[in-house]
Amino acid sequence: MRAPLIVCDRVEFSYAPRGPDGLVLRGVSLGVRPGEHVAIIGPNGSGKSTLARHLNALLRPSAGVVRVLGMDTRDPAHTRAIRQAVGMVFQHPESQMVATIVEEDVAFGPENLGVPHAELRRRVREALEIVGMWEDRDRPPHLLSAGQRQRVAIAGVLAMRPACIVLDEATSMLDPRGRDEVAGVVAEVRRRGTAVVTITHRMSEAAEADRVVVLSGGAVLIEGTPREVFARADALREVGLDLPAAAALASRIRSQAPDFPRDLLTADELVEAVAARVALAAVTSAPGRAAGPVPSTAGSPAVRSRRPEEAGGTRADPARAAGPAGDGPAIRVEDLWHTYMAGTPFEHTALRGVSLEVHPGEVVGIIGQTGSGKSTLIQYLNGLLRPARGRVRVFGHELGHPGADVRAVRRMVGVVFQDPEDQMFEPLVGDDVAYGPRQLGLPHEEVRARVRWAMEAVGLSFEGFKDRYTFTLSGGELRKAALAGVLALRPRVLVLDEPTSGLDPGSREDLRACIRALRARQGLTLVLVSHDMDEVARLCDRLYVLHDGAVIAAGPPRAVFGDGAYLAAVGLAPPEATRVCQRLRARGVPVPADALTVEEAGDAVAALLRGRP
Amino acid sequence: MNEFELLRNITIGQYLPTGSYLHRMDPRAKIVAMIFMVAAVSFAPTILGNACLLAACLLIVWLGRIPLGYAFRGLIPAIPVLALLALMQLLFLGRNYDPASPVVFRWGWIVVTAAVGRLVLVSAARFVELLIVTSVFTLTTRTTELTHGIESLLRPLRRLRVPGHELALVVTIAIRFVPTLALEAERLMKAQASRGGRFDGSRWRVVDRARRLLPIVVPLFTYALRRGEELIVAMEARAYTGGAGRTAYATLQGAPRDWLAPAAALAFCVGMLRAPFPF
Repeated sequence: MRAPLIVCDRVEFSYAPRGPDGLVLRGVSLGVRPGEHVAIIGPNGSGKSTLARHLNALLRPSAGVVRVLGMDTRDPAHTRAIRQAVGMVFQHPESQMVATIVEEDVAFGPENLGVPHAELRRRVREALEIVGMWEDRDRPPHLLSAGQRQRVAIAGVLAMRPACIVLDEATSMLDPRGRDEVAGVVAEVRRRGTAVVTITHRMSEAAEADRVVVLSGGAVLIEGTPREVFARADALREVGLDLPAAAALASRIRSQAPDFPRDLLTADELVEAVAARVALAAVTSAPGRAAGPVPSTAGSPAVRSRRPEEAGGTRADPARAAGPAGDGPAIRVEDLWHTYMAGTPFEHTALRGVSLEVHPGEVVGIIGQTGSGKSTLIQYLNGLLRPARGRVRVFGHELGHPGADVRAVRRMVGVVFQDPEDQMFEPLVGDDVAYGPRQLGLPHEEVRARVRWAMEAVGLSFEGFKDRYTFTLSGGELRKAALAGVLALRPRVLVLDEPTSGLDPGSREDLRACIRALRARQGLTLVLVSHDMDEVARLCDRLYVLHDGAVIAAGPPRAVFGDGAYLAAVGLAPPEATRVCQRLRARGVPVPADALTVEEAGDAVAALLRGRP
Repeated sequence: MNEFELLRNITIGQYLPTGSYLHRMDPRAKIVAMIFMVAAVSFAPTILGNACLLAACLLIVWLGRIPLGYAFRGLIPAIPVLALLALMQLLFLGRNYDPASPVVFRWGWIVVTAAVGRLVLVSAARFVELLIVTSVFTLTTRTTELTHGIESLLRPLRRLRVPGHELALVVTIAIRFVPTLALEAERLMKAQASRGGRFDGSRWRVVDRARRLLPIVVPLFTYALRRGEELIVAMEARAYTGGAGRTAYATLQGAPRDWLAPAAALAFCVGMLRAPFPF
């Protein structure tokens, strides 16, 4: 075993000067060996980011020692060498770029180290080539996607030739494609022998590591290989964490079929294990029956137009075909087109003839890759954008009409945007929730009543939170406060853009429960935009799939997710549990192709294994 | 058309790549030349002198291979200001400015002397010249070249404790954050509008519109501070400790002929000062 790269020995830390109560880290001991991949997981507020900042002397321990390559981080003489050895990539792609073009940003670190010019050029080129951004070297960062910007940030660290890279929730602001890009880069970095420390809320990312460290309340709760750590599902759930979907599915199966192997972690292992058992059962019970792919018998197929490219031309109108019959729709969008910066070289068509309907009381999901037009579309639903080509009708208001009462529409359709930071305008939570009702000019008593109602509806106690500063809220609380701010307008339709992205599993589940309750108790109609397919599958009645500005499929989640190959063609994938079932079917195991949740898929597989349902 | 996209298209230091002599020039030479030209504009109180300056400006535009219409586009929003300035001068200067000058026009209490007439022409011409010189400069210079040029020019002043590197970094980061803040302002406005805030209203009711923008200023400021703080941590994490001991990725290699431009500009500036223009 090689000498450790980073050693944390009983590290204690508090942000307030010497307060024993405010300890964020309570004696954390941890080691990172050269070339190792360590994942640190833990609920919000467990001290993950604080610990990460100790690894390259951005913070120094109040008690205990951190050594990087033998150097004590408390000695300022070592600071530069330590920061060269351990690079960090942060959560917000927006605020770690210094220069106005990519290559100069990458050069910033080695410039600080005083690397001579010729060597500097070589390193910048090498780093940009590793992350696949050399072609974009003279572009300004604000024209890059979030995933590309994180790759540039990684290149900026690589150019310093570190022994270890720390990724502090570097993928939490990214969409699935951005996450894949970053994952690819991390794999390449590891292949070159650099150690990686990943801090993440995504259990599937942690499962890729050599070692997982679970932090809770500023102390190490569990440490071990992913297999060892994720075997302790109950302990993880207790602190608000979760299992990777495949492991959760395996554990569900095992709870009903006790002889099923334990410690399965990845989808590959799970598929192998199930397929092997089924094949064994087939050999012993019914010899001679050849196993082959099960023909697709997924329920009613999703209604879809023929091909994405043709969708603009042929009006198959999936909306009407898929919508339930009944009273008129709350929102109807017909043949909507949108072009950004028309008449300039930057012209870009974001929507190409989109049609959709939202009926009172339903939950409609909109899925699609980044750039497929989702965020443009939702801005039409409450009149932030007004249709120039196509029609948008909201509760009888024709939004294309110049005289339409847009303010009335915005009261009826509340939009909660992705980043709650953009939606908090007042320092105190109570004032912020009151912003909407005050804009309506309601009397004081009524404003207060609405604020109380809205806060209680999302599960924030009025007395407990109204005088809290917004910056003291946790991620989950901030989302709820933003939601309450929109609810206080008493909308009839709620549009939620990525409501749970960047939250830890516990707060994610909590917020979902809150959304479900809103629907059940208040009868709200919901439009949900999300990259989290599991979330969409659990919450939505109907889905629209956007690709390149057009609706290419629509229907209930079961129908849309039933055809994995079709979704893959547009860069999407069904929920993990559904994917496992579909892979099993391809191997000849007769499980339903449209099981949506871990519970459903797990029960189906377990029933099969127990021997014939 | 869209009430929210007013900020998205901000382009500071808009760059128009035509690959001309001016584009390829060492930014340091260009900065020095620009300073001399601005000085020449400031020292030219005569009509004939300004005619020479306008001709020089056209020459610069031609050297930069910039379409004439493009170079003058920046003037359009300035026209009302120019008109107002001229009107004020004509109405109110009267005999207060150079009382010895002959009166050319008189109507009621309005008195226009020849000196005032000349002043109106000269100040309008100066405005146009300044605008052309500076916009040709930004149209032919990338922001990175600008900041490296500033840093390099200030380097000799380091002994006088002028923090050249830090100043250049401040300029770079400021420019770098303009599009970020513009997008954030747009997001804030949309979020406020979604919760009943109002940003619409007539383009001409300037005060009203400004008052409605006020509520986004405070959250925008908070946002900028937060991003700034994160940036500081990110810079520290990349071993930034100030200008000392740093090397530079970008290098400025000026050909000797680049310095022809500032030399010409200096000669022109001195000539303007010395030339005995009759009017």
